[in-house]
Amino acid sequence: MDVVILFAMVIGLMLIGVPIAVSLGFSSIVFLLVLSDTSLASIAQSFFQAMAGHYTLLAIPFFILASSFMATGGVAQRIIRFSIACVGHLPGGLAIAGVFACMMFAALSGSSPATVVAIGSIVIVGMRQVGYSKDFAAGVIANAGTLGILIPPSIVMVVYASATDVSVGRMFLAGVIPGLMAGVMLMTTIYVIAKIRNLPKGEWKGWSEILESGSDALWGLLLIVIILGGIYGGIFTPTEAAAVAAVYAYIIATFVYRDMGPLANKDGGPNTSLMRKPIALVTAFFHKDTKDTLFEAGKLTITLMFIIANALILKHVLTDEQIPQQIAGAMLAAGFGPVMFLVIVNVILLIGGQFMEPSGLIVIVAPLVFPIAMTLGIDPIHLGIIMVVNMEIGMITPPVGLNLFVTSGVAGMSMMRVVRASLPFLAVLFVFLIIVTYNEKISTILPNNVMGPQINCEGAPPTNQMERAFCDARTN
Amino acid sequence: MSAHNPPDSMFGRFIDELEETVIALLLGAMVIITFINVVLRYGVNSAFGRWVEGVTGWDLPGGLIWGLEATSFLFAWLVLFGISYAVKKTSNLGVDAVTNLLSPSARRVLTLFAVAVCMGYAFLLLKGAWDYWANFANLPQTTGRWFPSGLEEMKRTSYRSWYEVNDIPFPEWLRFIEPWINDGESYEKIPRFIPYAILPFGAALLLFRFAQAGVRIWKGDEESLIVSHEAEDAVDEVAHLNKD
Repeated sequence: MDVVILFAMVIGLMLIGVPIAVSLGFSSIVFLLVLSDTSLASIAQSFFQAMAGHYTLLAIPFFILASSFMATGGVAQRIIRFSIACVGHLPGGLAIAGVFACMMFAALSGSSPATVVAIGSIVIVGMRQVGYSKDFAAGVIANAGTLGILIPPSIVMVVYASATDVSVGRMFLAGVIPGLMAGVMLMTTIYVIAKIRNLPKGEWKGWSEILESGSDALWGLLLIVIILGGIYGGIFTPTEAAAVAAVYAYIIATFVYRDMGPLANKDGGPNTSLMRKPIALVTAFFHKDTKDTLFEAGKLTITLMFIIANALILKHVLTDEQIPQQIAGAMLAAGFGPVMFLVIVNVILLIGGQFMEPSGLIVIVAPLVFPIAMTLGIDPIHLGIIMVVNMEIGMITPPVGLNLFVTSGVAGMSMMRVVRASLPFLAVLFVFLIIVTYNEKISTILPNNVMGPQINCEGAPPTNQMERAFCDARTN
Repeated sequence: MSAHNPPDSMFGRFIDELEETVIALLLGAMVIITFINVVLRYGVNSAFGRWVEGVTGWDLPGGLIWGLEATSFLFAWLVLFGISYAVKKTSNLGVDAVTNLLSPSARRVLTLFAVAVCMGYAFLLLKGAWDYWANFANLPQTTGRWFPSGLEEMKRTSYRSWYEVNDIPFPEWLRFIEPWINDGESYEKIPRFIPYAILPFGAALLLFRFAQAGVRIWKGDEESLIVSHEAEDAVDEVAHLNKD
């Protein structure tokens, strides 16, 4: 009962226009003061520890920074050119190239709205110029942009890993196959629509264009190799990988692409060579572009972490009140099996995804559903991927999906038009969700083979109660 | 940069610039420390690093022991310092789907109520932050559960300025504070009241910024405390590309 009031309070405050972070924090603080003997001092301490005590979350600012350098540094244009060279000649080519570009950009950035803005702003214009309807263009980009949180690196996955103590590296690997699958499904759908409606195709510019644009985009795409290679090669932790990625992205943007910093030519002319201005090696560190990008990434980090830190306080309330155990007990008593449970998770996340920023939602929902999933024998990595895919769909589900907002802003269309435009592709993602939810292997095959399973039931006996419950459920 | 609330005076611009620079510097420092640690680990422990050590006779550090702790504190500083800036520039995320359906006057009333909630939140956070920090700086905590009803009487255990952090060494140039706060005894690591100081500072600034936002909304200079998604500014920048 208490919990119902707590959630009603959180949602009520959000709906009247209180920032999400404050809605979560205020409700939780009031609850802690009324119901427990927690002091305000210890709440302030846990706020501080949300940042200072979570090494995994430290990856978030670094990934955001890497993607800001990439976005400012002109990587988006190069990726788009490369994908048009690859698939632009197919029927519906430019739309397919848009999806392909979204997939590649998703591999550099960890956020969906950022992907929509970076790729969508360029591709939608381009598609209209060659004769696509604006609606079709917006529908494609709104959906393909959601891949940002599924294809690694992904901020949402970092948050899930931190909230449930699973490995970030496994989560990233688990996202690879589903991400590629979702992209291919979207591209196939476009191809079929293009065949039926006879949509325009571009011309085949030959292998030389692929090679040329590919080598131009290569510096940006190498980032994903550094991140994944670094983590799985055991060279560094995900957090360190993110920091290295940020430094790498900075060097590429400033000294190789030279679209930002002292060597950039803002008038559209060719950028200055480092040879002709070697002093740039020094000035680049103090250049206004560098500071602005650091600041923009810092600002985004702050707004996300403000929500996450307050969500952690709410999580504290829930665990204090033993809510996860109560819900688990109730569900098991009602005789729900894994299938029913996953349906319920789907529904909660689809509704929650309407209101909440995805990473904040994960912090709250993950601890609620994780113990139940373990008791039912659902693989924790698989559960993470299911949650991420649900979140993706929540972003494009009317009435208030995040990506719908962003796309309507980028394309200059009303929300309703974007909703209608994205419905056919939304249906595709729904089919994708069902496939991913009921085929554990799609998510787990890669991480299990590369890094071993998250919880190993063979060999050494499980260390804690939750793992034992998981292994029991698995063997039966 | 930001579309919201451009400053209207020299002083306002200076403060904006100051806050933005601090945010950029904190994030920059976090990245550089973490990066250097990776480089040191591989650079110094490689064959090349050994060779350099052998030739020069130096003992190169294989990593900054204090790096991780410093980065964690900087992360907390970044967020706690930055949340008030986010309030000033109206960049906190929220849900505006419902409030957008209301008449402007009803929206204004609700938003003012929302400001009151935010100020309540910032106030409680400030009290908590002070109570947590005060003893580490040999200052009295406040009494009372919700509202500060007074100051505690300092007991022997209330003087905790001798608590140090785990790894970050105490810098020599800061030694002059030892007679003031630590009875002249020397610190080996930095005392805890330094990193934790951002808590009361950040919370107080947050309360102040929410109050300012309330005044702006009261006067009608602004309509809302929130934006609906993180990319709102970026969308504004590219929206002209697709205008009909």
